[in-house]
Amino acid sequence: MARLFPIRHVMGYIFSLVLSLVALGVIYWDLTFTAGIVILIICAAIQASLQLVLFMHIGETSSKKQLYLNIAYAVFVGLVTVFGTLFTMIWGVR
Amino acid sequence: MKINDALPLEYRTEENSNKIFGFWLFLGAEIVLFSTLFAVYLTLWNRTGSGPTGKDIFEINGVIWETVLLLTSSFTCGLGIHAMRLGLKKPMMIFFGITLLMGLGFLGIEITEFVNYVHEGATLQTSAFLSSLFVLLGTHGLHVTMGFLWGAGILIQIKRQGFTDETTNKSFIFSLYWHFLDVVWIFIFSFVYLKGLM
Repeated sequence: MARLFPIRHVMGYIFSLVLSLVALGVIYWDLTFTAGIVILIICAAIQASLQLVLFMHIGETSSKKQLYLNIAYAVFVGLVTVFGTLFTMIWGVR
Repeated sequence: MKINDALPLEYRTEENSNKIFGFWLFLGAEIVLFSTLFAVYLTLWNRTGSGPTGKDIFEINGVIWETVLLLTSSFTCGLGIHAMRLGLKKPMMIFFGITLLMGLGFLGIEITEFVNYVHEGATLQTSAFLSSLFVLLGTHGLHVTMGFLWGAGILIQIKRQGFTDETTNKSFIFSLYWHFLDVVWIFIFSFVYLKGLM
């Protein structure tokens, strides 16, 4: 039975629940908007890396360099899309 | 056909490791797809017109349950792949079954949430905020629905054929998809619901 629940997965699961709880804290604690957003970004980034490395086994084969590069590039395009849009549509309009 | 015994069964033929690699490329494109939807939502989230705001309609209890269900289903999906690599068919099928049931539970909560929104007068046409919200949540929900049907199909094949090159390869690719949906949900949970209720 114990071998069905590898410690890495169990720890990863507990850690992801803790991260979600911390993120949930932003609506109960009295924080500034910036502090709240920073907490959310940090928790989400750790949470995503956790899934990628632990559960999706991104680094287990010899093509891991290409896989990391592919994800990094996708994230880069995504961030440019999100922040580029915010920059032109919201922050740029003064 | 080149066979590499040092790798888990799902990677052993060249075709199968290429399929896994190709699926990662697809997930890269999915990251970009969801980024565009987030960009739209984050631009329009306060364009509520005469309709309700996020604070008015978001219900944190349902959202917490959705998060717990998806996080746990991602965990059991990972355990399913672990059991598959140990060659244990029954535990693998149980873990995948639990994963899919939780996916179904998630969808149930999300559909109830959408119905409640519409009853409160918050529809797709009400405001730019709600259009972008429904499109973002709906795209994710559609992915979960597809994942449920896909995973159910794979479970049937595992039951009939056991662990072969093909069924293990399909299961592993499905697990990548399911974990990815969990990642997308984390971002929706954080930057739609929590940010909206902050």
